[in-house]
Amino acid sequence: MAALTMYPESERLSAGERAAFNLYMISAVILFVLMMLLGVIMRMAQGTWLEVPPDLFYQFLSMHGAGMVGTMGMVTTAVMWFFLRKYVNLHLWAFVANYVLFLLGALCIIGAIFLGRYAGLWTFLYPLPTHSMGMWPNASGAWFMIGYLLIGVGMLLFYLDAAAGLIRKYGNLGRSLGVQWLFGGTIDPEHPKAVVASTMVIIANSLGILAGAVVLVMYLVGIAYPEFKLDPLVAKNLTYWFGHMYINATIYMGVIAVYELLARYSGRPYAISRPFLWSWAASTIFVIIVFPHHLLMDYAQPRWVSITGQIISYSAGFPVFLVTVWGALANIHRSGMRWTMPSRLLILSMFGWAAGILPAILDGTISINRVMHNTQWVPGHFHFYLLLGVLPMALALMYHVMGSYRNQAPNSGADRLGLPLYLLGGLVFTLAFLAAGHLSVARRMSSHLPEWVFTDQMGAAGAILVLLAMIYFAARISIGLLRGPVSGHAAHAAA
Amino acid sequence: MIAGSVAASLVLASPPARGWLESSMSAQMLLQLPLLAAIGVCSASAIPAAVRGALARWDRWGISGLLLASMTSLVWMLPRALDAAVDDVGVAAAKYATVPLLIGLPLALSWGRAGFVLRGVFLAETIATCFRLGWLYRVSPERLCSNYLLDDQQRLGDWLMVIGAALFLALMGKLLLGRFDFRTDAQAQEGRH
Amino acid sequence: MDTLRTLLLSLLIVIAGGATLGAATDGLRVFTTESARRLAVREHAVRVPDLALQAANGDQIALQDLRGNWLLVDFIYTRCQTYCSVLGSDFARLQDRLAAPLASGRLQLLSISFDPEHDGPAQLAAYQRRFGDRGSGWLAARPLDAEGVAAATRAFGIRVLDDGLGGYVHNASIALVDPQGRLVRIFDAGQPEVVAAALQAVLAQ
Repeated sequence: MAALTMYPESERLSAGERAAFNLYMISAVILFVLMMLLGVIMRMAQGTWLEVPPDLFYQFLSMHGAGMVGTMGMVTTAVMWFFLRKYVNLHLWAFVANYVLFLLGALCIIGAIFLGRYAGLWTFLYPLPTHSMGMWPNASGAWFMIGYLLIGVGMLLFYLDAAAGLIRKYGNLGRSLGVQWLFGGTIDPEHPKAVVASTMVIIANSLGILAGAVVLVMYLVGIAYPEFKLDPLVAKNLTYWFGHMYINATIYMGVIAVYELLARYSGRPYAISRPFLWSWAASTIFVIIVFPHHLLMDYAQPRWVSITGQIISYSAGFPVFLVTVWGALANIHRSGMRWTMPSRLLILSMFGWAAGILPAILDGTISINRVMHNTQWVPGHFHFYLLLGVLPMALALMYHVMGSYRNQAPNSGADRLGLPLYLLGGLVFTLAFLAAGHLSVARRMSSHLPEWVFTDQMGAAGAILVLLAMIYFAARISIGLLRGPVSGHAAHAAA
Repeated sequence: MIAGSVAASLVLASPPARGWLESSMSAQMLLQLPLLAAIGVCSASAIPAAVRGALARWDRWGISGLLLASMTSLVWMLPRALDAAVDDVGVAAAKYATVPLLIGLPLALSWGRAGFVLRGVFLAETIATCFRLGWLYRVSPERLCSNYLLDDQQRLGDWLMVIGAALFLALMGKLLLGRFDFRTDAQAQEGRH
Repeated sequence: MDTLRTLLLSLLIVIAGGATLGAATDGLRVFTTESARRLAVREHAVRVPDLALQAANGDQIALQDLRGNWLLVDFIYTRCQTYCSVLGSDFARLQDRLAAPLASGRLQLLSISFDPEHDGPAQLAAYQRRFGDRGSGWLAARPLDAEGVAAATRAFGIRVLDDGLGGYVHNASIALVDPQGRLVRIFDAGQPEVVAAALQAVLAQ
């Protein structure tokens, strides 16, 4: 079976593709290091090891949030592109246009924050960006949102190009998602899981981007014409719809790396199945309507919306999550897995996703949400799955591509040291968040009660370990990718 | 075909038709402007092949045409322009000329040349604009057009949101379950040479 | 080549479209007729023609007679239940805030009805009483005929629409006319403190 070739010819990167891939991946690891540095500073400030004035803290928090979410979106887009291009015709211009628009958007956001003092966080609550009480000029809020719009347009271009490729090959998006096999029929065993996952992401995230395109422009109109007052609850719903979809899409793009690579390292085929198709079809719908679970604390929200949010949040992540983790476990069980960096990272990502979803589901329960939806539990949950779940998926692909250049999976001593450091730091860091969230109700970022300082310091210590490991990964990956294929290994020699 | 288009424009420009179509904001935006654009779309077939070929060389992938249609639409979305078209004969004439010729006609000529991505961006932006304008008209505490009443403006807002939702559902239905014919793309590719 | 030509044409379209949009919005400053009118008046004072009016006490007056003073003008119809009631109380409160210039005759308040058929002198006087006329410096008047209404509303840019319920909808604003008889500013209704502050600044000059 072709999938078991470790470095198939179809994944070879031409010179142009390699340049684009390197731009994405090296920008991403550098951005991750910088954003983690901000994270370390904030945790140290909360742990009273550093003095950071509150206005600067919120600027850092805005930068860290927007920067991490955006970079996560960018790097997982590259994962999707890397594998999807094997199955359908993707145009390099769309992939590069997304990168260029991402960078332009990032510049707007960085300028808005560090030149314009914007500090309204990555998902802002109406009317915050426009009513800063003098903390930052309205123009900063506007630039921040223009940055988002540029990033959204870039993603939409990439998705549309991918949709065109999928439709050309499979007829329509329903068929590439596999709905024709839900109720019977013989599933094409060669139907790529990457195609199914990509279809889901295109549908769901385009919808989120559309919602963002509406609400962000309305915010901009509101800056120019303050007499236009939006319904704050509608604005919040749309903002979270867009934000929720964007960050969730990173999981579903990142997991393509697991589907594609795991079987190669375990040496055992990872077949597509009807439950697999059902789970992706169901999650396509659920992920679109689950966002109200971010608004369980909004008493003005109609009751039925909150209850739907709770029910769906139980079921939304579950199908894909169960089928993926179960499938991955079955795939590696007694398989004689080759333990190298890519495979370790893939397994770590499965653990991070699996463990990270539990706090999410707890928080998606209305009665728990009322006390634990606070400034520690929520970051605890999303750092868990992003840091230990999604980021390792992307790192696995980067290491895999480095391996393809030398026809040997990377597994140096430093790698073997860096990964446990990352895991240990990540666990300490996220568990400190979760412990603090469990201990306290509705904490404020700006206050440091003595009872809270211990977990903050633990978190800071963990974050420093993660940062050290990430600095190593960033250097190793940048050098490895830039060095390119070793001549003689034909598989990935530049075209 | 040209005669038909001119006749249709004259009918729409006749005082009774104009009076009725401009009697409410909803009628002007949802009937008059689309009908005028439709006249432009219909007259596209009357353009001789030679002219079409010449235009195509300036309109690769349909970019120029769709851009022209978008920019012109933007002008006719200004409340001030809608007002002026009712009050001022010169502006009214400009509307009757530009909506068919600079929105409808280029749309018809360029749509076939546009690829999947450009069409997608155009449609997504159209849907988003329906929702944005609809939302604005709903929440604006003031009349945006001096010639129309507030309830008319709010009703138009509702309609725009309904239209946006319908367009969106139709587009999703097409993408998920529809049939696609990529021949138009192939023609566009031939057109390049 | 085709790509270059398309790029060139697209650039021209964007420039031409941007210029049109810029012209149609006075440089992205105004999007509605009302805001355009206010901006235009501020940038270029508009001469107000002479208008013949009948005041609430039955006297015939001409706008010309009021020249030499500053003049605040609003448009009303006395049966109004909505906007005009704001305007009416605005004028009463301006009588308090601007008592001195009104007493000295440097400033005059003038309400003009655009519904002269219904609004005879008695109705106009009742309208003023209803909103607590302080008895100084506030004239209510009506044009003599439909042509007079048209001339007055045209001069001040007032648009009156039938609201379908037997009443009218119109732009509720307060216009400032300078001693030379030129329309120089338009204020929102419902903000007498803004109008008073602006007038005090103007009168102090």
